Amino acid sequence: MKIAVSGIGIVSCLGIGMEANRAAISRQESGIVPKSRFLSAPSAFPVGEVPFCNADLALRAGLGERCLYSRTALLGILAVQEALADSGEGKDLRTGLVSGTSVGGMDRTEVFYADYLSDPAHGRLRDVAMHDCAASTLAIARHCGIEGYTTTISTACSSAANAILAAARLIRCGIADRVVAGGTDVLSLFTLGGFGSLMILDKKPCRPFDADRAGLNLGEGAGYIVLQREDTLQKEPYAYFAGGENANDAYHQTASSATGEGCYKAMHDTLRKAGVAASQIDYVNAHGTGTLNNDLSESRALCRLFGDKVPPFSSTKGFTGHTLAAAGGIEAVFSVEALRRGVIYPNLNFFRPMEETGLVPVTESREAPLRYVLSNSLGFGGNCTALLFSKN
Amino acid sequence: METLVRELKEHLIRELNLEDITPEDIDSKAPLFGDEGLGLDSIDALEIILILEKNYGIKLQNSAEAKPVFYSVETLAEYIAKNRR
Amino acid sequence: MCYIEAVATHLNLTHDIKEVVPDATLRRRMSRIVKMATAAAFECTGGVQGIAALDAIVTATGLGCLTDSERFLEQIHRTGGQMLNPTPFIQSTFNTVGAQIALLAKNRCYNMTYVHRSRSFESALTDAMLQLKEGDARRVLAGAFDENTPTQHHIMERMGFWRKAEDGEGAVFTLLTAEATANSMARVSRVEFLSSPLSEQQCRERYATCSDGQVWRSLDKTVYPCRSALRFAEAVEEVRKGVPEIVVYNEYFGKEPTVIVLQCL
Repeated sequence: MKIAVSGIGIVSCLGIGMEANRAAISRQESGIVPKSRFLSAPSAFPVGEVPFCNADLALRAGLGERCLYSRTALLGILAVQEALADSGEGKDLRTGLVSGTSVGGMDRTEVFYADYLSDPAHGRLRDVAMHDCAASTLAIARHCGIEGYTTTISTACSSAANAILAAARLIRCGIADRVVAGGTDVLSLFTLGGFGSLMILDKKPCRPFDADRAGLNLGEGAGYIVLQREDTLQKEPYAYFAGGENANDAYHQTASSATGEGCYKAMHDTLRKAGVAASQIDYVNAHGTGTLNNDLSESRALCRLFGDKVPPFSSTKGFTGHTLAAAGGIEAVFSVEALRRGVIYPNLNFFRPMEETGLVPVTESREAPLRYVLSNSLGFGGNCTALLFSKN
Repeated sequence: METLVRELKEHLIRELNLEDITPEDIDSKAPLFGDEGLGLDSIDALEIILILEKNYGIKLQNSAEAKPVFYSVETLAEYIAKNRR
Repeated sequence: MCYIEAVATHLNLTHDIKEVVPDATLRRRMSRIVKMATAAAFECTGGVQGIAALDAIVTATGLGCLTDSERFLEQIHRTGGQMLNPTPFIQSTFNTVGAQIALLAKNRCYNMTYVHRSRSFESALTDAMLQLKEGDARRVLAGAFDENTPTQHHIMERMGFWRKAEDGEGAVFTLLTAEATANSMARVSRVEFLSSPLSEQQCRERYATCSDGQVWRSLDKTVYPCRSALRFAEAVEEVRKGVPEIVVYNEYFGKEPTVIVLQCL
């Protein structure tokens, strides 16, 4: 059974919708700004923040501006609306939703919690009503009219990639005809504080794969693709889902192994199962967060898999920041766009290769006929996922 | 110095939640990290950076530059004695 | 369809946590729920060798590792986001338990975490069954856990949840196989999400395949997101003892109904 990608939807700091994102990337313009405008407390680190307040987002999503949905749900709704509209009506199709998120409604919970801690009788309950991860998924399904199999995945920064794996399985096993899959996550004091406490936030724009990289920039956004059984397509698809595997690094709760065991296994098993040779991969959209640990580990995994013929690769996090649970969705959208338009999105802020591997990413937008694109997503808990998309 | 070493061990036990370990069990000269000695890891290094900052007013930028300082309780104590505010 | 080889819950743990997690560095960071869930996984698989033999680890939680989430939020509030201890942040991640299980045996297999409120366990069960069906895995560990904290209890009390229900917590793991083995206890024939609630009679009409089976609806007042996993474990035990079929119907405060059908071998 062939599974096609029939729609894409994206919200990032570059803008709402694929057109806005494509335009910014083609101008090599990053969406990362020195300071957040909407967080409930100041942060010293640059962020990739979606440049609209919740009320604006709600209006754009066709909800009232006083809508009480969490920002996570609002970003998700906007991206899923775009992806579904792009995919076509699909009235007779059983459409499902698999959504990844790591913060859920945390942006609102932390507002609640500040009041609650001062007095347990305080804090507006509506601020904490969407705390759990499922709340954003259920709001998306409800607002976008998705009535088929719906669930939520949270495996930190690989959540959306895993949602895509799960979606493909639901289609293969006949539980759904098409599934919207990806993830949504928002900036929060919780994650900014968390990555800050790990000392892996860069005070400057992040420099993935650069020798002098000094950490990541947090971002927010949502990215979803529509996977669909080929015989139900109503339009020419953008690309095909050719495979994907999840593997665990089983090395440390947060750090990646020096040899990139999990990342290597995920990529290796994906190619083996799909029957695609390493030499057939035309582009890798790397996880490339910009931390010392991740980029070295991932580089080593790439070198192990591809030997001295590492294909063109880039991390797009210099444009979007690291959007955590949404990253795998946003990067799946970019991977599908790469196949659709035959263009490789560049890696910003790269100056000098790291000594350990000497790998040099693609630094300028480049047109190329692409057949196979691999996308990596690596998360806490050693959670590693590779997705493979193909032109035909 | 002895008081500082003792105090530091108590901080380590509390902040790193070292169960079943008393200050006497910690060899001041033994390596803190790796398989010998206490067997601490990168997350513990971050917690130790916080111990230095909160208790002794010492700011270290990252765990890489702290490597020789973080070798043992003794090296840590010496560094604190020199740099504390 | 898949076969149940073992079930363990927080109520029948026999190993000390130091035996389950001999690595003191791993253990000392674990909160109560992470220890409880990891111990249940260990119990279910029979230990490190059992974990090493798994082809997939699928966990589920409605609210995740709440104690660590609350600790980190409280720190942020107290310090204004400065000088935060990283440990509660790291441990608050929803896939912490799945990751710890993998670390125990350095098992690099598929590792997934579902967080879909009261349908988390059923989502994990579905994932496990589909993997067994597709032949990607032969032995899958699926489990669910949820933690009760004073803060969560109080907030939900303010929301009015405990007028008719009582709070709870727990951890349940089950070892599933594609083929029946000498150790199989029962089989799972269906796992479904329902679009609207069903009465006991409707459950029977729609799901029962034999006249002497049972239909279980929520029998007591205890409610928490992964509560259905404990009902599942109890039903497996009854089927093993001889009940030919149990339709386990679950709701969460009257919403999000699900059905799991268990049959004897």
